[in-house]
Amino acid sequence: MAHAVEHEYTTTGLNHRKMLMWVFLGSDCLFFGSLIATYMVYRGQSLVGPYPIDIIDIPLTTVSTFVLLMSSFAMVQALSATQADNKKGLVTWLLFTAGLGMIFIGFQIYEFNAFKNEGLTLGGNLFGATFFTLTGFHGAHVTLGIIWLLAMAYIGGKGRLGPNTALDVELLGLYWHFVDIVWIVIFTLLYLIGGFDAGPVPIPSP
Amino acid sequence: MAHETEHKSNHPSFNQYVVIAIILFAITIVEFGIIWDRIGIEDDLGAAVIPILVGLSAIKFAIVIMYYMHLKFDHRLFGTVFVSGLILSFLVGGALLALFLSFNGEPREYALAHAVPYEGHKAAEEHAAEVVERGTGAETTIASGPVELAVGAVGETLTFDTASITAKSGSEVTITFKNPSANNQHNLVIVQDGTKDAVAADGTAAGPANNWVAPGDARVVANTPLLASGASGEVIFTAPAPGTYQFVCTFPGHNFTMFGNFIVN
Repeated sequence: MAHAVEHEYTTTGLNHRKMLMWVFLGSDCLFFGSLIATYMVYRGQSLVGPYPIDIIDIPLTTVSTFVLLMSSFAMVQALSATQADNKKGLVTWLLFTAGLGMIFIGFQIYEFNAFKNEGLTLGGNLFGATFFTLTGFHGAHVTLGIIWLLAMAYIGGKGRLGPNTALDVELLGLYWHFVDIVWIVIFTLLYLIGGFDAGPVPIPSP
Repeated sequence: MAHETEHKSNHPSFNQYVVIAIILFAITIVEFGIIWDRIGIEDDLGAAVIPILVGLSAIKFAIVIMYYMHLKFDHRLFGTVFVSGLILSFLVGGALLALFLSFNGEPREYALAHAVPYEGHKAAEEHAAEVVERGTGAETTIASGPVELAVGAVGETLTFDTASITAKSGSEVTITFKNPSANNQHNLVIVQDGTKDAVAADGTAAGPANNWVAPGDARVVANTPLLASGASGEVIFTAPAPGTYQFVCTFPGHNFTMFGNFIVN
C-alpha cells in the first residue's frame, strides 16, 4: 500500500491522523447538526422582536459567504504548493487563506454588533439565543482555523513544510473546508430561507 | 517521494480548482438572485423556493467535500466515517424536529397567540415610509356612488401594493383584498387614524380565531377575514364620516410595514 511509506503500524492501512480528522469532522457534523436543528425547532417562536426580517442583511452576508468560499480555494492552493515543494507559494496561500478568514470574522463582528444595537441579544428571544449560539460557534471554529493557519504559515516560513509534511497542511485544509461547508448550510437556512421570518411563522394554510 | 507523486496526480489541477471555485460562486449568485425580491424570481417560483435553495446548497456541500476535501479521490473509509456522522446528525435533527412539531402544535400556537409586535427597528419605519412614497403613483381614487377598490399584498414583503385609497363619505365601499403571498397570512382592517398599532396589539391578544381583530373594537371600521396564502376576500361597508383613516394588516408584526391611508371625502 502506498501509505506504508509513512512507516506507521495501522490496522486499516490508512493514516491515523487523517482518520482521526475525519472522525472529528463527522462528530462535528453532530455538533452543528444539533445547533441547526435547535434553530429550526425554535424558528418563528420568538414572542418579542427583533425578528429575522427586521435585521438580517442578506446582501452583506452574501459577500462574506463569497469571502469564505474564496478562502477554501486559497486553501487548496496552499496544499498544492506544499506538495509541489513551493515554499514561498505555500506561505503566501496560507496567509491569504487566513486573511480571507479574518475578513469573514470582521463581517461577523460587524453583524453581531449591528444586531446587538437593534436589540437582539443572547437572552432576549429565541431567535437571538439560537442565532448567536449557532453562528457564534461557527465563528469560533473559523477563529481557531485562522490561528492554525497562521501557525502553519509560521512553520512554513521557517522552511519546515514540504512534500514530506504535506499531511499537516492537508489536515488543516480538511478542517478549513469543513468550516466552509457548515457555513454553506447556515447561510441557506438562516439567511436565504429564515431571513424573511417575521414574528411567529404562520401556520401553513392547508 | 513516489507516494506523493502518485497522490498528487489524482488531485484536480489548478485550472480544475478554478473551475470548481467559479461553479461555487455561480451557485451562490443564483441563490442570491432567487431570494432577492427586487429581481422577483421568488414570486414566480412560489413554494418551490425552499427545496430549490436546499438543493443548491446541497450541491455546493457535495462539491466542496468531493473536490476540495478530496473525498472523491481518497480511501472510501474516510468518506464512510464522515458520512456516518452526517447521517447521525440528520437523524438527531429530524428527531428533534419531529418531537417538537408533533407536540400538538402547541408551542407554535402559543407563540402566535402571545407574540408582541416589534417596534424598535428604524429600518422597518424607513421601509414603511418608502412604501408610502412609492405608493403615491398607484393611488386609487373614486369620487362617488358605490365604490369598488382593489388592494393586494406585495409578495413576501409584508406591504400593501397601495399606499392610499379614497372614497366618498356615505358611499357603499367594496374592498377586494388579494393575498398572493406563498407563506404569509394577511387581513385588511380599516381603523381610525393613528390607531393601527393599538388595534393590531389588541388583535394579537384576540388571536387567529378572531381574524387577529379584537371583537367589538370601536376603532375598527371594517375588516376582511384572515386570508390564507393565495386567497382573496372582500369587505363591504359604508364609508364613515369624512377624514383620514388607516388600513392595516393586523397579523402579529405586520402592522409596522403593512398599512396605508384610507381617505374619506
